[in-house]
Amino acid sequence: MAYEKVDVVIVGAGASGSVYASVLAKAGKKVLLLDSGPDWELSDLISSEIWGRRVKPAGAPILLEGKNPMAYAAQGGWGVGGAALHYFANFPRLLPTDFRMKSEHGRGHDWPISYQDVAPFYDKVAREIGVSGDAKAEEKWRPAGEAYPMPPMKTFRNGDIWMKGFEASGIPMVPAPVGMNSVEFKGRPACLYDGWCHVGCPIGALANPQVTYLGEARKAGAEVRAWSTVTRVLTNQAGTRVTGVEYYDDKHQKQTQEASVVVLAAWSAQNPRLLLNSATDKHPKGLGNASGLVGHFMMSHHVANTWAMFDEDVQNHKGTVAVQYMSYERYPKKSHDGVFGSSFITAGFAVKTADLANSRADLYGPELADYMKRAARNLAGIKAFGEEQPNMENRVELASEKDAFGMPLGRLTHSFDSDAVALWNANLEEGLRIAKASGAKEAWSARGTMPTSHLLGGTIMGTSATNSVVDSYGQSHEIPNLWVAGPGIFPTEGASNPTFTIFALSQRGAERMASQWGTLTN
Amino acid sequence: MANIGRRGFVKGATLGVLAFTVGGVEVIMAPGEARARNVPFRLLDAHQAETLESLGETLVPQAREAGIAHYIDQQLSVPPHEALLQARIFNVRPPFADFYRTAIISVDESSRRMFGRDFAQLSATDQREFVGRMRQNKIEGWTGRPGAAVYGVLRADAVDVVYGTMEGYEALGIPYMAHIPPEKRW
Repeated sequence: MAYEKVDVVIVGAGASGSVYASVLAKAGKKVLLLDSGPDWELSDLISSEIWGRRVKPAGAPILLEGKNPMAYAAQGGWGVGGAALHYFANFPRLLPTDFRMKSEHGRGHDWPISYQDVAPFYDKVAREIGVSGDAKAEEKWRPAGEAYPMPPMKTFRNGDIWMKGFEASGIPMVPAPVGMNSVEFKGRPACLYDGWCHVGCPIGALANPQVTYLGEARKAGAEVRAWSTVTRVLTNQAGTRVTGVEYYDDKHQKQTQEASVVVLAAWSAQNPRLLLNSATDKHPKGLGNASGLVGHFMMSHHVANTWAMFDEDVQNHKGTVAVQYMSYERYPKKSHDGVFGSSFITAGFAVKTADLANSRADLYGPELADYMKRAARNLAGIKAFGEEQPNMENRVELASEKDAFGMPLGRLTHSFDSDAVALWNANLEEGLRIAKASGAKEAWSARGTMPTSHLLGGTIMGTSATNSVVDSYGQSHEIPNLWVAGPGIFPTEGASNPTFTIFALSQRGAERMASQWGTLTN
Repeated sequence: MANIGRRGFVKGATLGVLAFTVGGVEVIMAPGEARARNVPFRLLDAHQAETLESLGETLVPQAREAGIAHYIDQQLSVPPHEALLQARIFNVRPPFADFYRTAIISVDESSRRMFGRDFAQLSATDQREFVGRMRQNKIEGWTGRPGAAVYGVLRADAVDVVYGTMEGYEALGIPYMAHIPPEKRW
């Protein structure tokens, strides 16, 4: 079956792809989203940790290597909505220093843009999809911007109980900005604080793509083709332009979809895999890869989890999986003596029974049963997300093994460097001090495997093809009608949860594409 | 969004429980019920099922009665992208049956070396000691996936069947508060 040529084919219907689809469909473009998984609806989002695993990655595996393999399946998405269907919707933004890492600190990369270039898009995204929080309170750490459209979310004892400890530690905590509704917003209801966000919010209180950008894209005429696994980006004979994509449909039949513009929005590991697998005689190292940087500078955040038991019932089943409080107080890169990197501190979140069990992964048998009873009442936690510096050796490459469609599997190698390990340890130690000052009866650090959270890099932005894969909008330096979207284009990661920035950069990139359309199609 | 309700949202999902085969007919029930009704296993043999039940019970009391072996067996019989096993989240590569098959072999080989008997035949005390060593990768001559990984996946399965259900929440006194409740309390 031959499909009609479209203006834009977007590979991946998650956070970044849905923004591009919405902006471009509203601009009158014929937009097609291809996604390798199912087309989830809100009614599929059963409130169960067990059933919630259906929205986690399936399909061709990414081979995971290195000293700190990425928790790929826990973090990624599967199907329409992508990882943003089950994300926690924490919406901190990057800070100005994150954009100037090389010039200010001699580390990593400078972004080709500044915080001021992105700031209007943070505000725009907040207006579009709804953010709850207190912008004024955050402005002790960041440049002023617009107020959030909704007041902060409710807090609960599992968050409030930590405030004494933070105050004693000199760490001011403010309401966390989240992509959730504290009040009704644009016809979407307010949150019920039932803590099932991480398996997908079916009521529309959390800003997942289905109820925001993707819904708007569909209304504007965008088509979503689920169960469509893209294996190659196609080019013209001269290698100067992309002409569409090759993919396998729901019946595993090979198809070709022609398009004027291709946007890769399949998350940080799959985008490089596709570029590398699209090599031609004109692009022998893969598309957009003259620099040899495609797949490199993969980054993740490390997470310092501190758990504590309190004497009182902290009602840890109440709230959301996003956090109630946040602080940028340890965001300056040298906040801890002798340690480099930003930390983003959070407190107050709902837990489910799997979280209770995982908070003491060493326990089993009767000790676990006894612990579960106590933890159900008295357990609360805090988390500090930590920055990792971009490292050339952290990379995605093609493996010799192939998937069901004959496409080489991706191999993702990731190791934290000594700075990251030192920062993680410093955050864990500080967490214990905060717990003690909060009056915890017992407190412990979640040590053992160093957790990875989020996946960034692999197709980083920069000023030219000598130092990067794309420009600040996500446009390939080498092929003007090939674009990349999502966290893969971040050249540094800061310590903030990335999705708010993904939305903002995608909005900026999509608007640029729409405004420059004539230059892309001629 | 006017048709999206609040708590107690009328569920459109039809995938709330697991399908077991009884007398050639698919019957929807919870794993504990499948065990109580002695539903035949689809893939596991009797020894594998007994070993998984013993491991599950050692890891999380009541996992046997909650139907851990029936849960794993049923989940291994569906396509990997439909599987709800924690193995999926632990980045275990499909087919997941390979993981469980080799884990059982590793456990029994080590158990025979340490205690002269298969794991399921050990006393509760020896089973507990074995699992403790497996968790810390401290079993000499262990082959296959690391013991800590086997511990992590099987413990997670046992936590699922004992604590991940609506009954599990109820037993701990935690309000479940579903938006879309799983059918038949699963």
